Amino acid sequence: MKEQNRLAIVVRGVFLYFLGLLYLLHLNLLRENRMIQVIRESHDTPEEVARRLEAAGGRNRFGEPNYRVIWGWNRLAWIGGKFEDRDAHGDLVREVVELRLEPKYPQVNRWHVERWVPPEMYGSPRDWYAKTVESANGVSVPALGPYPERGEYEHCFTLQGPKGEFVQLTPTIVEHVARAIEWARRFPKAKQRGMLYEREARDEREYEQWAYTLMDDAVPALHGRPFVTVA
Amino acid sequence: MPAQANANVIALQLEKVRDKVPLLYERDDILLTMIQQRGDVEKISSRNLRLPLQVNPGGKAGSYNADGGDLGRGSGTQYDVAQVSPIFFRFAIEITKLVEYATTGRDRAIENAAKREVANGMKQFRSFLDKLIQTAGNGVLGTISSVSGTTFTMTVPYGAALVYPGQTIQIYDTTLTTNRNVAASVTTSVVTADPISTQQITVDNVPTGTVATDVIVHDGLSGAQPVSLYGIKYHQNNATTGTWLNLSRATYPIQLATPRVNAGNAALTPANVRLAINKVRKSLGINHLSKLIAYMAVEQEHAWENLGITVSSIIKEGGSGNGNDLDLLFTGRKTMSGISIKSSVNADQTRVDFLDLAHWGRAVLKDIDFYEVNGNTVFPIYGASGGLAASYIFYFDTAFQLWSDSPRSGAYIDTLARPSGY
Repeated sequence: MKEQNRLAIVVRGVFLYFLGLLYLLHLNLLRENRMIQVIRESHDTPEEVARRLEAAGGRNRFGEPNYRVIWGWNRLAWIGGKFEDRDAHGDLVREVVELRLEPKYPQVNRWHVERWVPPEMYGSPRDWYAKTVESANGVSVPALGPYPERGEYEHCFTLQGPKGEFVQLTPTIVEHVARAIEWARRFPKAKQRGMLYEREARDEREYEQWAYTLMDDAVPALHGRPFVTVA
Repeated sequence: MPAQANANVIALQLEKVRDKVPLLYERDDILLTMIQQRGDVEKISSRNLRLPLQVNPGGKAGSYNADGGDLGRGSGTQYDVAQVSPIFFRFAIEITKLVEYATTGRDRAIENAAKREVANGMKQFRSFLDKLIQTAGNGVLGTISSVSGTTFTMTVPYGAALVYPGQTIQIYDTTLTTNRNVAASVTTSVVTADPISTQQITVDNVPTGTVATDVIVHDGLSGAQPVSLYGIKYHQNNATTGTWLNLSRATYPIQLATPRVNAGNAALTPANVRLAINKVRKSLGINHLSKLIAYMAVEQEHAWENLGITVSSIIKEGGSGNGNDLDLLFTGRKTMSGISIKSSVNADQTRVDFLDLAHWGRAVLKDIDFYEVNGNTVFPIYGASGGLAASYIFYFDTAFQLWSDSPRSGAYIDTLARPSGY
């Protein structure tokens, strides 16, 4: 009987111990939840992908790959100037002049293929600051951040389907994109121009064809003539 | 019983396809039809459509002395009202008596002729309206840079892009005050137009007094400072004088100004594009770019391709040569720094506009349809003598105006150089 009581006391003690632990855990969770946590889904580029891209696109004058692939949330760029911060209803909350590091592309949950662009593409540092410095409220900030002395990676392609759906990153896909862009770069500009106008002409022809088809659908079968039996 | 007139047969055929006319018109492949009729304001009467705009936020923020200090007064949000008036547009199509002779009364042949004219006419009408949407709301389709006989060389932009052969035009002086066609009592029609290489047009009649710097406006406008469709350059504008939808730009110099990047006659660069996009992001919020499109002429799309960092038309149109499944990746819309590109042969050749179509709408007074009088849609033509001419005529007509409820929701890059070869 005494042993049974002792066992009951031990069981109750263990039960209370775990109950206490659960309570402390609960308190800790509550305390953590009081803080606003901004969680951004970030991904590093797989090594195999980076290696295949480098093989496809080569390296630039700084020994860095000409092509790279990067996750949208990971790709940040400088944005400077007067920001108008708004609440969820779109109402203006405050205006502030500053330089911020923000996602560069609107599709933050997609992979992006970028190509390196040499610094001369951005003009001289003097031109850069002349064109990009914005002044507001007596404060001047370079709207695109400091001059890209080592060049910059610019957007080539977003990995997504024709309707914007997510496409999983694979080495084969990005290698194909890089090779296709390099392949296209070899063509003379006149050829590219011709392709653009050809596309416009084709779009026009497509409209015409679609319109005629639509018109044909607008009349009854056999143009309303009665069926006849041919002996 | 009177004999059946060809006009009646044509009218019968038009009736058969009447319900297809809106479908032909609304296909969303041109900017005009990408701008939706908005359900909340689409149908308007002949009175102005009123668009309430929040022009300034309300409330007074500040610190105060809790030890008996004065907390001060408050303020409310300031609103003003933009107003839109619809403009009537028509497109006239004539079918000659020859149709009847050529078809010798066969019902199906006449039906085919009518259908063909409806389809062709709608294509041309849409093209005309798409050209108008590029303009600044005054109907100006081009500026003459030099006159040589009946040949006008046109200034870029727009060059000869916004007119088409056969179009009736009017020539105004540069201040849009004097209508030279009215003054000289002549009508002018375009005979040829070359919008690709020479940017020249030839016309049948040159009104007396036509000089370089004169402008060409579309048919149907009259008086000084005519008003036409409010196009991109009307809404996407950083002017601080003049009016915008009946509001004074001087009163709201910041609220009504669209952010601008001046390219200074240099070629398009990624930096220009980022500057413009960032201006929108700073104004609207960093992650509010989902409905933005980059609207540009084919020339600027070419300039973007020339940078060699994008998926060019060589790949998209011609295929990369492999023809494998991965090419399907390229069937999506081409982008400019992640913003979808929509290009047009009619757009300003020196400009890229970033448009948030969620803020654009069409205020429609009359939907597209055949023009109708007492149930008739086909009308006879009368000759100079007062007798009948050997033709019939029918019209498409519609009445609408374009509006934007937030000029600051877009941005534009202008004075861009055109790539070599244009």
